[in-house]
Amino acid sequence: MSVEAYAGFAYLFTAAIALFMIGAVVLLNKIMGGNSNGEGMDQ
Amino acid sequence: MDTNIVATLFPGIASLFVQDPVIAGARIALIIFGFFLAYLGFKRTLEPLIMVPMGIGMICINCGVLFLDGGKLGTLFLDPLISEPGALVDIMQINFLQPIYNLTFSNSLVACLVFMGVGAMCEISFILANPWTSIIIAIFAEAGTFVTLILGVHLGLTPPEAAAVASIGGADGPMVLFTSLMLAPHLFVPISVIAYLYLSLTYAGYPALVKMLVPKKYRGNDIWFDAPEVPKTKKFIFILVCCALLCILLPMAAPLIMSFFLGMAIKEAEIVPYQDLIENTVLYTGTLMLGLLLGTLCEASTLLNPKVAPLIVLGVLALAVSGIVGLLGGWVVYWFKKGNFNPVVGIAGVSCVPTTAKIAQHAAEDEDPFAVVMPVAMGANIGGVIVSAIACGVFIATIGMVK
Repeated sequence: MSVEAYAGFAYLFTAAIALFMIGAVVLLNKIMGGNSNGEGMDQ
Repeated sequence: MDTNIVATLFPGIASLFVQDPVIAGARIALIIFGFFLAYLGFKRTLEPLIMVPMGIGMICINCGVLFLDGGKLGTLFLDPLISEPGALVDIMQINFLQPIYNLTFSNSLVACLVFMGVGAMCEISFILANPWTSIIIAIFAEAGTFVTLILGVHLGLTPPEAAAVASIGGADGPMVLFTSLMLAPHLFVPISVIAYLYLSLTYAGYPALVKMLVPKKYRGNDIWFDAPEVPKTKKFIFILVCCALLCILLPMAAPLIMSFFLGMAIKEAEIVPYQDLIENTVLYTGTLMLGLLLGTLCEASTLLNPKVAPLIVLGVLALAVSGIVGLLGGWVVYWFKKGNFNPVVGIAGVSCVPTTAKIAQHAAEDEDPFAVVMPVAMGANIGGVIVSAIACGVFIATIGMVK
């Protein structure tokens, strides 16, 4: 894989893991109950 | 007077005349440079916690050269190149910093200890208040890492070397140490020195970048948001979930991830004796040793490696691109939230905790003394730490894919 293609892949992979992690936290918050603010968290 | 007597009485000075003149000149330059670093730390122009011990270490390692057995030149501080076990045991009984170097530095323990301290100082509520905003800005602000990787390879570095220097774009000292020790141990001294120098300079450089990319009328925007009251139990569970998820996805970065979330978990669990130990003793001992060892590793011969010149350019480029794209992320969120946002928060996605969050707050305050962006900026800051750890894990695990 060329370094350009790899950099693009690594950036997207990093972003995907970060979004997955934060999505899991928001989902967990919903499962654990409570109202949410604009970004899905308790108020 | 016999020259041998002079060499016996003043080996530090005599060694300057028997060395290669380039090395001797570089030693003198590094002594002067160490003096400036320590002084600028003392004046608070640079980060004093790192720069004072690093400057003193740099001065002493380059002054304290003496003639060892067989007329070989060396010091009584440490020898980073020793790898043979027998020689290592011998040298540990002579060089006073050698045990600390081998048992805490070359295995990244010191990076993990500092990261544990950073974790203990981070408040997870900030990122939980605005999870998507925080992480999206942090993803934008990681761009410098990936741009620098490409440029590094084109400047002649191998992919692991380029990835190690690119990690400066994450603006997280322990992460740079960890990545460079994993991917390019032969370059970790110059990479770490450059990283810490530039990180100290962000406080001077980033405010100018903010002023350049965010017009005056937007900089004073106040941010209205609902601050969630997340119970401690939930926060603790979130920490455990994040830690487990990241460790299972990125086992190569598990030591750093564990250290960071352990610090956070201890804070949330309110285990006061551990909290005091980590926030004070562990963090400050780690930082002192880090600064001192970085300084003593700055021997002239190490820094005269021809690969150091591109590192200097790439380091500043990594931080500049991360800052610029982070601010672009701030504008994207501003547009997405239809103006209920302050684009200066974008700079806080660069994970230099809490420096970049303070820069965002100061930039807003300068335009409107009542503008408060700090809580949102701290969320982006902590998001930045997490995204940097992920990027570091991705590099370590997958850099072999580059052919």
